[in-house]
Amino acid sequence: MTYWPVIAVDAWIGLVLVSIIKVTLILVGGSLGMMFLTWYERRAIAYMQDRRGPNRVGPQGLLQPVSEAIKTMTKEDITPLDADRVVHFLAPVVMLGATVLAFAVIPWGNLFPSSLRVGVLFIFAVTGLHTVGMLMAGWGSNNKFALLGGMRGVAQMVSYEIPLLMALLPIILLSGSLSLTDIVTRQGDWYGFGWYVFSPVGLTAFITFFIAALAEGERTPFDIPEADSEIVAGYLTEYGGMKFAVFYLSNYMTNLALCFIMASLFLGGGNGPGVTALGTVLGGLLSLVYFFIKALALFFLMVLIRGTVPRLRVDQLMGFAWKFLLPIVLVNVFSTAIWVAITRWGPQAQIFTDWFGEPASDNYLRYGVAIVVTLIINLLAVYAVMRINRRQPSDLTEEEIALGLAG
Amino acid sequence: MLKTEELQVNIGPQHPSTHGVFRMLVTVDGETLVDLKPVFGYLHRNHEQLGEVNSYLQNMPFTDRLDYFNSMVNNHAYARAVEQLAGIEVPERAQYIRVIMDELSRILNHASALGFLLGDMGAWQTSLLWGLREREKILDLFEYVSGARMMCNYSRFGGVARDIDDYFISEVKKLMQGLPRYFDEFERLLVENEILLVRAKGVGVLPKELALSYSVTGPLLRGSGVPYDVRKAEPYAVYDRFDFDIPVGTVGDVYDRFLVRVEEMRQSYRILEQALQQMPEAEGGHINPKVKQQSLKPPVGESYARVESPKGELGFYLVSDGSGSAYRYKVRAPSFINLSALADMCKGYKIADVVVILGSIDIVMGEVDR
Repeated sequence: MTYWPVIAVDAWIGLVLVSIIKVTLILVGGSLGMMFLTWYERRAIAYMQDRRGPNRVGPQGLLQPVSEAIKTMTKEDITPLDADRVVHFLAPVVMLGATVLAFAVIPWGNLFPSSLRVGVLFIFAVTGLHTVGMLMAGWGSNNKFALLGGMRGVAQMVSYEIPLLMALLPIILLSGSLSLTDIVTRQGDWYGFGWYVFSPVGLTAFITFFIAALAEGERTPFDIPEADSEIVAGYLTEYGGMKFAVFYLSNYMTNLALCFIMASLFLGGGNGPGVTALGTVLGGLLSLVYFFIKALALFFLMVLIRGTVPRLRVDQLMGFAWKFLLPIVLVNVFSTAIWVAITRWGPQAQIFTDWFGEPASDNYLRYGVAIVVTLIINLLAVYAVMRINRRQPSDLTEEEIALGLAG
Repeated sequence: MLKTEELQVNIGPQHPSTHGVFRMLVTVDGETLVDLKPVFGYLHRNHEQLGEVNSYLQNMPFTDRLDYFNSMVNNHAYARAVEQLAGIEVPERAQYIRVIMDELSRILNHASALGFLLGDMGAWQTSLLWGLREREKILDLFEYVSGARMMCNYSRFGGVARDIDDYFISEVKKLMQGLPRYFDEFERLLVENEILLVRAKGVGVLPKELALSYSVTGPLLRGSGVPYDVRKAEPYAVYDRFDFDIPVGTVGDVYDRFLVRVEEMRQSYRILEQALQQMPEAEGGHINPKVKQQSLKPPVGESYARVESPKGELGFYLVSDGSGSAYRYKVRAPSFINLSALADMCKGYKIADVVVILGSIDIVMGEVDR
């Protein structure tokens, strides 16, 4: 009777140790990832602009972020005289905290820090806290530009979280799970190429999610909260030194997290040819390689967009979320339901079995029909939304204006 | 009743996108602009008063500092005013050299102005740096002929300071081989871009009548659909010998001004081609050797000379009392006059548009505050 508490203590210590190691890895990995991303982005954009980019500190300028980290850390910490000191101080903490929390459930390849059963929901619940941090920064700075930036940021985040989550629903329908672990494992079929992006519904979901993610990560063309040509630096205006760096850390870690999420949800995470064949250790390493390649490719796409297009205006941004993205993602949820019905329903709908045969992963007739049907629905939806949005107010009849169809 | 509160925001003088120390006192209702009051004078340096104290030649380098993007054009305009006042003949070759410099200036000005405009819209520097890349090559040429990259101080009364040589001509030709590629590349990058269209079309509309009543000039006026260009309206130098078109817009919005500038670069390229072709036959040297540059004393009288600067009609008004310095010296600065239409162009648009509209006017504060 005396031995069991000892075992419990051992297990407890083990749990704590493992957790500490995981937390350290996440924090260090996230920060290093952010440092790498800043360097990567600057070099990539520099090549687009016929420049060299940072190439002096360390090999190929890789240590440039380190020198900048030292610079920001040694800077004087300034709080404006009339600022709300507590809120001003807490804003970057809230921002970074929200981002780091999201990393708790994001898989790195096929390795998972913690396999939460409602992982997807958790990520978007905690990243929603960004909004609070943004508003705190805008309010606490006691600066008009900061307040404008904070308000813009909140409006943008709140608007884009809806298409972001709605774009996600098809994946949850397809996988039948909210756990990122399950979602990734289920994309391992077909020699590691069972990625959800390879279906019309998954592709639509991916594209809409990517656009909404650009807005969530405050990337061009949706970098309105910190539009430097209009409102100086938005809610960052009154921040300097380490606090500013923390905002940037949080921003880039959010982008990293979004790339990881997109790679996991749509591009099969660490799945790829050979991962299952190579066994746990080698396959795990290979899955990490695949995963990072996918995530970096997505980030490169973001950089490419940043280097090219101008910024949307704030009302156009809202219009785009509500009038364009939202209808499309809603229709996509519908067509995903049809996809699931056509590919999976056996006894529930005898008529499908009669027409296309039993549901099975090698019943290509069912998949073909599903692809055609969902593709038609989605294309029609995109076409209709574009038609409606293209129309000028003068083209509309009075009933249509009353229905709020004015573009 | 619900009501909204108006917020007064100072955009500038220290603001990333006011193109210098310019301040806009804007009243916004949410994001919509209710009122705009331009405030300037932060860069006043007594330019016109200095022009009345300096000798005529001493004032030449001061004109560089007006529109520091286009010092070649400023020099040309000022030299023309003095030449008109003193009745100085300018050799043909010098005229050609001045035209070449003016058109190179126009290309470099528009390349950077379009880059800055897109930068104001939020395009992350790519278009700007492509423009600056071309500008850099032109500045190198300016440095070769005049010794300075931006403050060229190149014109003299009756010609230009130094003659251009075969090396310069070959370098210009080399530059011009690359330019069409830049124009195409730039157009492919953004001209048809959806986001640019929604940001620029129908924004900052300046109707034709309003533009004329404000007496705005340059791409701003041509964007509003008035085909007015000093090079055609009152051909100076040798501009009557070239075949070129004046691009005009239809609506007068930011997009029209954007397109007008893109097309003007192509037209400048045409002029350059013709000028380089015709120049070997031009008579005379690079300067009229009879003019006493240092101790020029024009007879009593007045003169007004204007040129088409890339920003609009640049004019110099001079009154001579027969002494070695002007009695009255006045600059008609295109940026200053174009800026006066800003408030009317901005009202009712969003605060983000204000910055874009300001960028589309293409002002230089050195010229606004003299």
